[in-house]
Amino acid sequence: MAAISHLYVHIPFCHHICPYCGFYKHQPGRLANRAFVDALLDELRLAARDTDLALETIFFGGGTPTLLSPSHLERLLTGLAGLTDLSGVREWTLEANPATFDLAKASLLRDLGVTRISLGVQSWQTDTLATLGRDHSPEQAEAAYHVLREAGFASVGIDLIFSVPGQTAAGWAADLDKAIALGADHVSAYNLTYEEDTEFLTRHERGELNSDEDRDASLFYLAIDTLEGAGYRHYEISNYARPGHESLHNQAYWSGADYLGIGPGAVSTVEGRRWKSLPDTAAWIARIQAGQPAHTELEHLTDEDRRLERLALQFRTAEGIPAAIVAGGDLRSDPVSSLIEQGLIEIAPPGDRLRLTRRGKALADSVTAALA
Amino acid sequence: MSTALTRNFSIIAHIDHGKTTLSDRLLEATQTITDRQRQDQLLDSMDLERERGITIKSHPVTMSYKARDGKTYQLNLLDTPGHVDFSYEVSRSLAACEGALLLIDAAQGVEAQTMANVHLAHQQNLTVIPVINKIDLPAADIPAVKKQLEDIIAIPGEEAIPASAKMGIGISDILEAIVERIPPPAEPIDDRLRALVFDSVFDTYRGVVSYVRVISGEIRRGTAIEMFSTGKRYEVKETGVFTPKQTPRDRLVTGDVGYLIANMKSSSEVKIGDTITDAQRPCSEALPGFKEIQPMVFAGIYPVSSDDFEQLKVAMGKLQINDAAFTFQAESSAALGFGFRCGFLGLLHMEIVQERLRREFDMDVISTYPGVIYHVKKTDGEQIEVDNPSYLPEPQVIEEIQEPIVRVFIMVPNENIGDMMQLVADKRGELENTETLDTTRVLLTAILPLNEILVDFNDKLKSVTRGYGSMDYEHAGYRPAKLVKMEMMISGEPVDAFSTIVHRDKAESRGRELAAKLKEVIPQQMFVVAIQAAIGGKIIARESISAMRKNVTAKCYGGDITRKRKLLEKQKEGKKRMKAIGKVNIPQEAFIQVLKTSN
Repeated sequence: MAAISHLYVHIPFCHHICPYCGFYKHQPGRLANRAFVDALLDELRLAARDTDLALETIFFGGGTPTLLSPSHLERLLTGLAGLTDLSGVREWTLEANPATFDLAKASLLRDLGVTRISLGVQSWQTDTLATLGRDHSPEQAEAAYHVLREAGFASVGIDLIFSVPGQTAAGWAADLDKAIALGADHVSAYNLTYEEDTEFLTRHERGELNSDEDRDASLFYLAIDTLEGAGYRHYEISNYARPGHESLHNQAYWSGADYLGIGPGAVSTVEGRRWKSLPDTAAWIARIQAGQPAHTELEHLTDEDRRLERLALQFRTAEGIPAAIVAGGDLRSDPVSSLIEQGLIEIAPPGDRLRLTRRGKALADSVTAALA
Repeated sequence: MSTALTRNFSIIAHIDHGKTTLSDRLLEATQTITDRQRQDQLLDSMDLERERGITIKSHPVTMSYKARDGKTYQLNLLDTPGHVDFSYEVSRSLAACEGALLLIDAAQGVEAQTMANVHLAHQQNLTVIPVINKIDLPAADIPAVKKQLEDIIAIPGEEAIPASAKMGIGISDILEAIVERIPPPAEPIDDRLRALVFDSVFDTYRGVVSYVRVISGEIRRGTAIEMFSTGKRYEVKETGVFTPKQTPRDRLVTGDVGYLIANMKSSSEVKIGDTITDAQRPCSEALPGFKEIQPMVFAGIYPVSSDDFEQLKVAMGKLQINDAAFTFQAESSAALGFGFRCGFLGLLHMEIVQERLRREFDMDVISTYPGVIYHVKKTDGEQIEVDNPSYLPEPQVIEEIQEPIVRVFIMVPNENIGDMMQLVADKRGELENTETLDTTRVLLTAILPLNEILVDFNDKLKSVTRGYGSMDYEHAGYRPAKLVKMEMMISGEPVDAFSTIVHRDKAESRGRELAAKLKEVIPQQMFVVAIQAAIGGKIIARESISAMRKNVTAKCYGGDITRKRKLLEKQKEGKKRMKAIGKVNIPQEAFIQVLKTSN
């Protein structure tokens, strides 16, 4: 039986739909959240029949996991503990949005085993938050951060977005400084992208919103310089951490480990098979309630698929990739040698790995394509 | 049969002046063909000819006409190609005749092509019978056309026959004039066989069919013939005449126009203008005027998909079997891969070849910028011909470069003379003569480099004159010019597909134009890409494509992996269609796009 060390749980509910977000999510509506929670546990129960759950990391993402009521959260987290032994869990992350929890809810999560919070701040500037359609204020975000600290989480991270229309370099610098000043253990700094099926993409195509590669690049470098200068390690394209606070769960994805995902829209990859749980909450619940797996988009991954995925993901990390997976490991042949010559990649210790340089990071997709 | 009752003639006319309609009327009036047969037989020509209203191949026909003098004459009509690209073929068809009907539209008057055709007819000493056609049109102005005839062509106006081929007016007068005015074939100097080849077609089942005019002697099945230019011998399998379809006859004699089939497998074995004689009793000299057909315009033709190279080679080979004027030779280009350097008689011929490759062989092809053949005199005295810019010697060993020039006849409305003269000057032309045609039009005669009229001269003429201008040209030899090879370089690497031989004074603007176009289509790279136009290492125009600054996906987590991999697979696949110019990877489509827009 396949051993699973990493579990992702998708909570697709949002009070308010942000116009840039491409994840599967919807407003809670009149769906019975209790039925949803039970379906999550049932889906895990179904999966546990064919897998050996020995969890080391858990990640609750969304949507907005903190939208669940304390009682539903309790039912879900204790249910989870009842299904499998969680004593080996080294990191349990939950994504939280400001203004969706209080100290009681935070403490409850902390008591039920969550170790790490990723707080969706996005920006500390009122106008940028407005452009992004966020329904919290900078003050609420700051209050939420302090609540998380008060609740005693071992690790609190802050998510920020740059290259938002109207955002200035000064605004972005202030966002970074604020996260540093608050003492965040981890910062995710995401370049805004125009995702399929979002209002932002439509407006981008109409020319109302513009992207600017030069601005993207300078804000990207600003984040690297500011955060590295404050002692954070730039351990993946969009992620920075104080030593020991890197996300173990995300690192598992990037290294090509197997993972199980539950909840509508969640993806699983287990022993060369990949599938998605139905990205339709009602249909997903119905299927689970009928005792059937709610899978879709099943694929079988070949060795070449795995190789390309490693190149696409692991190459984005500070450790880079084993040289052996590109160009047969011959570092003197093209395209490796010319990318080295152009200062886009470098040989990493102990000499058999390749990683992106500072400039290479900004061009990671092109560099990867050149090596594929 | 005496040659006294034979008349050989052709019809020369500007496009749309009614040549086809008149031919039909003559065939009907002589009962050579009925209405019912017309569609199937007379118009047995390529789709391309019909669509463009041009004639590429000869369509000879023999008619039997009982004249007013009571005698029955054999009239051979040699329909000729109507485009300057085929002017050598036209000249050979005309050489097979003693006279020509000069057809002029009563409403349009003399046009540029009329002039070029009259020149050719005069060069062959043909008797020209002017026919003013379309006199039924409300806009017809017979006196004006007669005056143009006198003023411009120096033919007495009273010789013109008013006619309307469409309405059947003047047809019998034309037939009578053919009999009365055109002389019969000349008495031969001896009875040895001399037959002029004026065209040939390839028939899948019978091989090459040669179209001939017998000047002297006779030819029949079984005759052992010799081709004068090659010395090759064949046995005649069949002789016949055009009624208009090929109809076998026992023999062809002095004055006859007909065809012969020997054992020839490819059009290249029979050369247009060659003399056929009897191998047993050969004539001592060839008929005058024979030339090896030389391609005038050259371009690279490449398969859009490099996998199609072999197929394209086969297609070109098949095409050449019935088009001996088309030449091709394998070459390779860093930008376009493997393809062929092709030679054509002119731009129309090039278009026809490309179109036939597409239609008849289903090939997707792209051609490079067309060029001409240059005569290069090197400092060591060696003379070479260059049809591909890549083979132009280094400037320091060139003493002189000569380029082909043409004499262009341009008819323009009076009000456009100024613009037209400017256009001629822009194209490095010199005005030879200006003649007033009538109250509204002038005829300009100018010498221009062939290279300058290859691409857009006719389009520009049409736009300057809002469609009222017309042009034609004849070859006028070679003359020295300040020509240089201009290379386009991407990151310092020359891109062969864009190398051109240009006039020094035009190099800069052409270089700037090409550099700007390349800048548009070459995708941003991870480094700065310089695009330069250079002459002998000296940069004359430049553009640069700034380096890509940021291209990285923001989020890569569990749900993004498949999408990310698929994107990478797509990019990997796309790389196969990239051409590497040094370190710059450029999609082949980018080059194709530039070639399309600059041709």
